[in-house]
Amino acid sequence: MRKPIRRGALGVALWMAMSALGSVILARNELASLREGFETDARIAHRLLSQQAVQHDAVLASLSLLQPADATAPPERRLPSVYSQILTVERRDPGQAWSDVRLQEAELQSRSLRRAVLAQADLSNARFQLVRAAEPASFALQIDQRQAVPWTEWPMPRDSSPVRVALEYAGQSVVLQPGRIGASGWRFDFRKHLAAESQPFDVVATRQVGWSELPWVAMAFWSLAAAGLLAGAMALSRQRAARQRAEELLRLGQVARLNALGELAGGMAHELNQPLTALLANTQAARRLLDEDPPDLQTARSAMAQAVEQGRRASDVVGRLRRAVERPDGTEHAVPIDLEAAVRNVCYLLEPELNRSALAPKLVACAPVAVRADPVALEQIIFNLLTNALQALEQVPAAQRELAIDMAAHSGSGVLTVTDTGPGIAPEVLPRLFEPFFSTRAGGLGLGLSLCESLAQAMGGDLSAGHHTPRGARFRLSLPLASP
Amino acid sequence: MNTPQSPVVHLIDDDEAVRASLSLLIGTVGLRVQAWADPQAFLAGFDRQGIGAIVLDVRMPGISGLTVLGTLAAQGVDQPVIMLTGHGTVEMCRRAFKAGAAEFLEKPVDDEVLLEALQNAVRQHVQSRRRSEAGREARGRYAQLSEREREVLGLIVAGLTNKEIGRALDLSPRTVETHRANLFAKLGAESLAQLIRQYAVLVDEADAQ
Repeated sequence: MRKPIRRGALGVALWMAMSALGSVILARNELASLREGFETDARIAHRLLSQQAVQHDAVLASLSLLQPADATAPPERRLPSVYSQILTVERRDPGQAWSDVRLQEAELQSRSLRRAVLAQADLSNARFQLVRAAEPASFALQIDQRQAVPWTEWPMPRDSSPVRVALEYAGQSVVLQPGRIGASGWRFDFRKHLAAESQPFDVVATRQVGWSELPWVAMAFWSLAAAGLLAGAMALSRQRAARQRAEELLRLGQVARLNALGELAGGMAHELNQPLTALLANTQAARRLLDEDPPDLQTARSAMAQAVEQGRRASDVVGRLRRAVERPDGTEHAVPIDLEAAVRNVCYLLEPELNRSALAPKLVACAPVAVRADPVALEQIIFNLLTNALQALEQVPAAQRELAIDMAAHSGSGVLTVTDTGPGIAPEVLPRLFEPFFSTRAGGLGLGLSLCESLAQAMGGDLSAGHHTPRGARFRLSLPLASP
Repeated sequence: MNTPQSPVVHLIDDDEAVRASLSLLIGTVGLRVQAWADPQAFLAGFDRQGIGAIVLDVRMPGISGLTVLGTLAAQGVDQPVIMLTGHGTVEMCRRAFKAGAAEFLEKPVDDEVLLEALQNAVRQHVQSRRRSEAGREARGRYAQLSEREREVLGLIVAGLTNKEIGRALDLSPRTVETHRANLFAKLGAESLAQLIRQYAVLVDEADAQ
């Protein structure tokens, strides 16, 4: 009982290891693909925000170059209606002062750098001001960063995306997209300067992958599949072990039968040899006594009487032996059997031998044939016929080996024909084929076919042998049909 | 010495019918048969000095014929043993001959084969007994020789003439002649050839010692 338990524990451990390994691989793949997606989105967001920033510079540059006249409707007044992110446009003509001293400082800086400069930033409120020094008038833009996000081109759904996107500058930050940031799991980060010198903000994207986002379904599926796979493999190995055991038992059974037969033959030889020795000695002594001059008639007579007695003793031994091994009537255990099923059973038993000879027997049955027979006796006969055929086929090259098994019903009988393309049966052997103790094989007992014939006859059938053209032997077993 | 005995064949088989019939058959050629049903009784009771042969069945209850054969060989029994078996294997046959069996026959046995084997065995046994008896007799006579006579015998066997022997032993040819006559008389030898045939072996043995 210990072995199955150990096997079970081993199986569970193996399953757990396979599940864990598979799940880790699946989770890592998922995380890698999530990270790739996140980084792509973050790069796109960075590019879009950068384009926007560059656009602010471009607007200022255009104003500086065009220097629109201070008319009733100067273009800078129209700008907020075109660009929603531009809240106000401030213009400082020569001699005028800026509304804020910070704009003044920024203008000085812009003059020396020859580009737009950040004058002040209130990122917490998403506001900042850009200044561009020019002649004669300089301009300043106040921008609402929240309006500066190109949502139409944005790669993520603004409200439902788990990615948080923010701009950071000097400790201030504005969240452009809230995302969902949990407490546990895996964190992906992305940080990059905007590609515009005038707006030195960092684009910061964050993504928190929670446990719930792992590919649980796939992992569970893999786990199940592993369990199935393992169970299948174990069942297969158990089946193989069981089959090996069955084959071993079969082989042992054959050896035991052979040993029993040897013992029987030995015992029989002794039991018969004693009376035969006495019989022979008595008759030969009697002949010698009769040859004497004068013949010793009285002693010769008693020797002959002894001989007769020993002859009877030998015949008793044979009678006793017959009674001891007498088979019960073969029709006693007869049941309806499908011939093909019996043939398949035997082929299964002989599978190792069939494989060794590289043979696949051709089974031909037009319709199921059910006969009345003792299942054990029937399989014994088929086993012997197939074994004989295999042994015959071993004597010819593999390419010429063919083994056919035919099943058919003929006028009240079920007929099984086994045909091989072996060397066939010599004409002088054919009449003696079913004699007990007649064998053409060295070391053969010569009981196989004789036994098969007796078994077939006991079941009300018969067994015959013949030639197969162009080459080989054909054995024909006929048995009464189950339903004539 | 003891008078020539008539040979006795000891037949050991547990089957009464076999014993009776084989005894009868062997009796038809004038051999006396003593039949034994029990191998142990045979080992305890048979006459080891007698002339004859032993016919032994291989398969017997209690003790196997091969074991009996081994015991006989170990005890130095010199009667030839003919083994009988119901179904003999090559291995059994090999073991029997190795243990000193004279013949190995299968049952049922043909009368001529058995009787010829028995007669051969008895004849050989008689001869070997006679040879060993002759040997014993020669040994006794040789023991009666004096030291000097043995020396002279040794040189005679070596092929020396009286004159050469005299020179070798520092004796006069006449004295050598006297020793020669004495040892011929003591050994009962009638010719030089007979002397050499019977005693050369003993001289060699004495030289070797």
